[in-house]
Amino acid sequence: MVAAAQAGVAHMSRTGVVDRLGQEGARGLVQEFMNNWVALSGDAWLALGGVDDVRRAIAEAAGAMVAERGPGSPRRVVAWATEELAPLDLPGLLTSLGFECVWGTDWSGGAGGEGDPSAAPTARPADAPGATAAALWQRRNLAATSDLGITTCSWAVAETGTIALYASPSAGRLPSLLPTAHVALVRPSQIVRSIPDGLRLLADHRAQRGGLPSAVNLVSGPSRTGDIEGDFAVGVHGPRRAGVIIGEW
Amino acid sequence: MPGVLPPATAPWPERRRRALADPTMRAAVAKTTRNLAQGKASAYASYPPGEAMRVRAVTARRSALAHIDALLEELTGNVEAHGGYVVRAAGPADVGRYVLDIARRRGAERVVKSKSMATEEIALNEQLEAAGLRVRETDLGEYIIQLARERPSHILAPAAHKTRGQIEALFEREAARTGVTPPTCDATPELTAFARRQLREEFLAADVGITGGNFLVAETGTLVLITNEGNGRMTTSLPPVHIAVVGIDKVVATWADLAVLLQQAPLSGTGQLISTYTSFITGPRRPGELDGPEEFHLVLLDNGRHELLGTEYEDVLTCIRCGACLNVCPVFRTIGGQAYGSIYSGPIGVVLTPLLGGLDHAPELPKSACAMCHACRDACPMEIELPRYILKLRRTEIEKSMEPLTVRLTFELWGRLWASPAGYRWTARLARLGQRAFMRKGRLTKAPGLVGGWTATRDSPPVAKETFHEWWRRRKPGSLT
Repeated sequence: MVAAAQAGVAHMSRTGVVDRLGQEGARGLVQEFMNNWVALSGDAWLALGGVDDVRRAIAEAAGAMVAERGPGSPRRVVAWATEELAPLDLPGLLTSLGFECVWGTDWSGGAGGEGDPSAAPTARPADAPGATAAALWQRRNLAATSDLGITTCSWAVAETGTIALYASPSAGRLPSLLPTAHVALVRPSQIVRSIPDGLRLLADHRAQRGGLPSAVNLVSGPSRTGDIEGDFAVGVHGPRRAGVIIGEW
Repeated sequence: MPGVLPPATAPWPERRRRALADPTMRAAVAKTTRNLAQGKASAYASYPPGEAMRVRAVTARRSALAHIDALLEELTGNVEAHGGYVVRAAGPADVGRYVLDIARRRGAERVVKSKSMATEEIALNEQLEAAGLRVRETDLGEYIIQLARERPSHILAPAAHKTRGQIEALFEREAARTGVTPPTCDATPELTAFARRQLREEFLAADVGITGGNFLVAETGTLVLITNEGNGRMTTSLPPVHIAVVGIDKVVATWADLAVLLQQAPLSGTGQLISTYTSFITGPRRPGELDGPEEFHLVLLDNGRHELLGTEYEDVLTCIRCGACLNVCPVFRTIGGQAYGSIYSGPIGVVLTPLLGGLDHAPELPKSACAMCHACRDACPMEIELPRYILKLRRTEIEKSMEPLTVRLTFELWGRLWASPAGYRWTARLARLGQRAFMRKGRLTKAPGLVGGWTATRDSPPVAKETFHEWWRRRKPGSLT
């Protein structure tokens, strides 16, 4: 049940926001998406100045959404292992910010990580038969004790303030669900007007890949409830803070 | 075959009396229904595509029912093609048996559930608990009423009748039972944080996750699950087994149909353009994926639904369980959901309860729990003719008690007399003559024959010394013929 929403915060980067947004239509969708996401109590950052700008926004979001744990107890971050995130060097960035990167952030090192479903997946020892259950268990518990989850998205919807997350071997269900805060990176070109527009993109994906992902989650702001006297409250199960960074990298 | 619903908690007069004597509950239900009804109105007003999509959604739902057997077959094939298991369940016992078989095979002890009307309908929790499983409801409202051992007061706000003080007391008791730190005060964030800690442990320790489903898409074998709290995502992502128990009526043909339907439940239910979390689940975890359930089971529940197909009541199966009819119903707003004695309350409950559970299951609902105001008809996004169905059910029920010839003849005669103005006026004159023997202090306190049923529980004002018609005729001679 849901009571009235409280607004989150929109953070506009100072550098030439509007100029970089290009054509009118795209600009309108980006603004509408941000406004609606913020109205759902989400946080939003605009970072259209390239890799460095996005990295700066991630640092800002991590600082704003995740409280310090206290001395000797580093904050933990878990992220998707998609190639899309590789150019941002999240492990480097987040380690320098004092975070402990628990899994899914180790794309480099030649093993290819979990890889993309289209790429040939390289089995790691932990994923070898027999070890799978234990490895899954361990990853799950690490995600559950993380403070921040970082993902990208497949598309976003302007008029509802929604992001779409497709599950895959490199894009787990848990980084957007278990940590206290979740931040998703959204490219301006991924923002469509309506839910039916987004579902058409899912239909395209289905046509190209010959089927749907095992799980697709549409997320519109942080976990919410109104079950105690109709009072609006966030974070009863899912993330307490949900952020989007609209950026190009 | 009709279905089986859980028996009513108490006889209707007792349920009604208890509800009317509970001002806290009544105030909470009044506030909740008012907020939700206003939310719905402003949501559709601020979002014009919503209404256009709604009209197409009605067609999509009705057309799915017209082809339901073919769609269920297509759905089954597609779920199985993705590595899921599908089973058809005629009623409560079938589902219980199937779930317990899985639990035994897996050595499961702990079950987490995401709010589901279908599993409440078949009292699944009781079945599983009787077999020794530990079942935990994880929707915050359902968690609260599970701890209180009560039934929901509203389909979307199950614990709307509970005050924060009562909730804090329940949580303190639970904290003592499980040996954890209790909430420090009754503030909403503190209570919510307590539930988060407790339920997070339950999710991580659960062997089986059970959900319902808002829709099923036949063309891909996809389960659609809508929640705001995220407990649906937890239940379908963490335990190694996911079992979805879904009414056969939830199937739609295509994603194009789903696209117009998906937002109707949140628009009509809570006034949101979309729920916080919408999950599309197509089979279990795939090879290489790092999370998600190993097994996915879809239990297609009949429980009296198939029998409604092709009857005059068929459209009731297009219900999307949004609760909009509850929020506008003057009876529901007065007595709340628990007084209905059924897990389905409000106008849809008045119709669904006897239709699914058999006409003898809750005859008092169509007879007594409707004021025939038609507000529910206007509120229903699927345009279900609830007042017409309630009237039909009422008629069926009343006809059963009209067996004696005298009763039938009396109503027959009454109907004929009141079909003409002259007959109506003649009965008024007759009643004025006859009522003298039954008057006490200017009121009719008892009456003979059938009319005695009316005066048994209330007085009736007498027929006036001069009726309006008589007065009118006296003042303006010739104006009435």
